[in-house]
Amino acid sequence: MKGLALAGVSAVAAFAATCAVYQLARADATAELDRFGKAYAVVRASYVEQPQDSDLVEGAISGMLSNLDPHSSYFDPRTFAAMQVKTEGQYGGVGLVIGLEESLVRVIQPIDDTPASKAGIKAGDHILSIDGKLMTGVKLDDVQDKLRGPAGTKVTLTILRDGVKDPFDLTLVRQVIAVEAVTEKRVGDVGYIKIPAFNERTSTGVRSAVQALQKQGSIKGYVVDLRDDGGGLLDQAIAVSDDFLDGGEIVSVRGRHKEDTQRFNAQPGDIVQGKPLIVLVNGGSASASEIVAGALQDHRRATIVGTVSFGKGSVQTVIPLDEGRAGALHITTARYYTPSGRSIQTTGIAPDVGVAEDATDVNDFQSLIGREADLPRHLAAEGPAVKSDVASVIRPDPAKRYDDFQLSYAIDLLHGTASRPKRSREADAANTGRD
Amino acid sequence: MNRYALVGVGAATGFALAVTLFPAAHGSSDLSAYRQLDLFSDAFEKTRAAYVRPVEDKELVNNAIEGMVSSLDPHSSYMDAKTFADMQIQTKGEFGGLGIEVTMEDGLVKVISPIDDTPAAKAGIKTGDFIAAIDSTPIQGMALNDAIDKMRGANGTKVTLTILRPGAKKPFDVTLTRAVIRVDSVKFHREGDVGYIRLTAFNEKTDSGMQRAVRELRTQIGGGLKGYVLDLRNNPGGLLDQATAVSDDLLNNGEIVSTRGRHPDDTQRYNAHSGDITDGKPIVVLVNGGTASASEIVAGALQDHKRATVVGMTSFGKGSVQTIIPLGEGGGALRLTTARYYTPSGHSIQAMGIVPDVAVAQGGDDDAPKITRPSEADLPGHLAGEGGKKQSQSVIRPAPGKKYDDFQLSYALDLLRGHMTVSSVVKSAEAN
Repeated sequence: MKGLALAGVSAVAAFAATCAVYQLARADATAELDRFGKAYAVVRASYVEQPQDSDLVEGAISGMLSNLDPHSSYFDPRTFAAMQVKTEGQYGGVGLVIGLEESLVRVIQPIDDTPASKAGIKAGDHILSIDGKLMTGVKLDDVQDKLRGPAGTKVTLTILRDGVKDPFDLTLVRQVIAVEAVTEKRVGDVGYIKIPAFNERTSTGVRSAVQALQKQGSIKGYVVDLRDDGGGLLDQAIAVSDDFLDGGEIVSVRGRHKEDTQRFNAQPGDIVQGKPLIVLVNGGSASASEIVAGALQDHRRATIVGTVSFGKGSVQTVIPLDEGRAGALHITTARYYTPSGRSIQTTGIAPDVGVAEDATDVNDFQSLIGREADLPRHLAAEGPAVKSDVASVIRPDPAKRYDDFQLSYAIDLLHGTASRPKRSREADAANTGRD
Repeated sequence: MNRYALVGVGAATGFALAVTLFPAAHGSSDLSAYRQLDLFSDAFEKTRAAYVRPVEDKELVNNAIEGMVSSLDPHSSYMDAKTFADMQIQTKGEFGGLGIEVTMEDGLVKVISPIDDTPAAKAGIKTGDFIAAIDSTPIQGMALNDAIDKMRGANGTKVTLTILRPGAKKPFDVTLTRAVIRVDSVKFHREGDVGYIRLTAFNEKTDSGMQRAVRELRTQIGGGLKGYVLDLRNNPGGLLDQATAVSDDLLNNGEIVSTRGRHPDDTQRYNAHSGDITDGKPIVVLVNGGTASASEIVAGALQDHKRATVVGMTSFGKGSVQTIIPLGEGGGALRLTTARYYTPSGHSIQAMGIVPDVAVAQGGDDDAPKITRPSEADLPGHLAGEGGKKQSQSVIRPAPGKKYDDFQLSYALDLLRGHMTVSSVVKSAEAN
């Protein structure tokens, strides 16, 4: 049986004889696939219980990918479907944050302005059943799946409330629940825009935020807050960078092969007409956030304030399997580089002005949250080692209280009242040892 | 185009094997097997083509096999070719070591203690010594496991350690010859008129050690010997044949254990042979949440045959059998769960554990052993138990304020001597 199969391999290999190197690599790959097939057959035949073939293969793909680097993984069909909902920035739901408590589903919090809060569901309520199905001893994911569905459809919850004797039913109409939307506020003559994540609605969110701020009167400058923004969609990072740039490269994405390099350039037009811009970053600013910060920094379009960013300079691509029916591969396919050619991987974006969140040591804080370079099996940096530590860090006066020292500092900077440290961008550039 | 043709071949090869090795599969099952394997080939191809840097095919497949197997249950795993080779050397007894217990401190390997009668002890390595380098390779920055790997090697080969000794002015080199290190799994001593035997693991020498312990205790104690305490607490198990041999030592006949796989014809039964090395003297077996696998086989067999009174806390509940299945030349091996253990009365140990005849807690405060120590049922992805239910029972614990070195052992000794007069004993759940 095996002999026959191998004969088949060589026949097809001869067919591919145009490229000898390719053929060698192929033979190796085929032998390895063969080895996998063997392990798979052994498990199917000998495991103590009859395994599901799909479970075995899902476990295999997941193991294969998650050992590559911390960001590569397998999305099983359910996760893949859920993830598509998430990056679209909307889903049909009722707006509940739930948890499990002694195998009962408990409402942690109804989200403001959603069907759940309008129907009067309260924190602490227990959900006994959904559409008549008992929700005891279930998994949280399953409960969430049941609550979700197309906007406009109905779902009936049976609620058990402290102080109310009998459980009662509430029927809610699912609605699109916006997740992680861009928000804005005016702080005096400064426009503050918070970007919590990069999803499909982020770029439009930034534009409407700017419009809303401009309607309220003249603006001296803007603060774009990317702190704790873990990233998201690359095209949204590019669009947001483009909003503030008139031309030039925003980012390049470079894969294994030179011809795979993609460069993204800004189009003319700056939605804030060249008004001063400050970008706030911290150790939680990663990926798409670092693209924006890096592009605006390299073009000297914005002053970057805060602490060194996370350093996730790798691009993951979602590659569906069997058109998504079998989930998708989520693998690292490229690194991204700022316009000046810096790779962000492990080094992060160093702020132009290092400003700590509070009086405690920044490094201590960062060691708590961790950075890319601390992750096991992280992709190594490429090119010359770039020291991205900030030479001097401005800290709040321990005697004074600030709601948000970094933001206060940024606003002072826009007003020209902040004390800038001696260190300059030029010195920073010299530090990187580029040519 | 070429690529896809080849993918198909790869999948077909695996599939052919799947069918050969699993002849019971027909129709839709085959189709599913083929489809899934094809899916894997597709994922493999896409990954090797698109990943940001070139990855070894072998690495991808090793990780895939590991992912597939370890998703099954906590005891199934994959050993790559090197790990498998090491394991073979180790079980053949050809694997040499130095005989030191070590830990990591300040980036250096620190000696906790040299084991008596080993190369390390003979060379004068002392507790508290630091190992700075192995064969001139500095330890600094090395993971502890890697350092241990470097110290191990073929029996009879030499290794040079650079030692930093507190109080010594300069580091110095010691050259040692690796030897087979056997940690004795049987410890015993006399407790007055009771023989106390502790098994710390089940390795090749456990049964012979057990027999020697019984012989020596009989000589030491003589005619007044009341019985034996067989301490299996914190014994994580080991070799199945040693567990059956130890059970057989104390049983005259009957089944010891059966292992049952997926197919009824895979069932294996192990039976006791006549002869009891203790001549039927009373036995108390001590168990706790750290008693697992082979230990549970012994406790279960002696309990079901009413040969021993099992005292302590419910055992871990690892009632599954792992088989090492090599994947051919250079392919590594699977460590795969292939069967469950059943005690003679047909109880599955899996996830249930052995419930003691007399539940005795070690201290006043370990009434919730689950908080401090996980059991099989707490492991993610554990194999479900079959039949039976964990009973709740009343637990005997030391009276508050009283101090015992080892309350469970004290209770066992009292039980053997027939005077349950330990005044401190309280039944905490008398109402039950």
